[in-house]
Amino acid sequence: MSHVVVIATKVQDPVAVAAACRRLGLAEPVYGSAELFSGEVAGLVVRLPDWVYPVVVDTTTGRVAYDDFEGRWGDPKQLDRFLQVYAVEKAKLEAKRKGYSVSEQALHDGSIRVEIVEAR
Amino acid sequence: MSRIIEVVVSPRGEATVQTKGYVGGDCLQASRFLEQALGVAAGDRRTAEFHQEQKPEQTLSQPQ
Repeated sequence: MSHVVVIATKVQDPVAVAAACRRLGLAEPVYGSAELFSGEVAGLVVRLPDWVYPVVVDTTTGRVAYDDFEGRWGDPKQLDRFLQVYAVEKAKLEAKRKGYSVSEQALHDGSIRVEIVEAR
Repeated sequence: MSRIIEVVVSPRGEATVQTKGYVGGDCLQASRFLEQALGVAAGDRRTAEFHQEQKPEQTLSQPQ
């Protein structure tokens, strides 16, 4: 190992968002306006299972807007899972664009490991 | 040794990118595309492999 970087995920790629939604069995995300408790928000609208309000992604900034009322209006684990799968799909997309080979493995702690091998 | 970039995404969506098999500055370049694509770097650590020195080239000059 020669270099380790920890990254705070920003959701900016609509293709990876759509891939994450397909993988999680969610409705296809659509650009539009959605009414949250705090008001109307525009962006890429994602509907999580059993959430009262949708999640709205601003793909320009990567910011995710939502109202879960500390879990009363939606299980935060659903959002965490969406962010995890988004990051996995985004990493795979970027690696494949470069022609690298990619494999994926679920780890015991719930993490997902993506291994990217550079073609030489 | 294969040159591998490993991305581990936690259950909360935080990604850790590691390079393996790269020496020196190559590793920084190798994973940069992923770091930029995934979000914002919140921390960076360089391991011993990064600081591994490559042997300097030796040249022999013969007297003319």
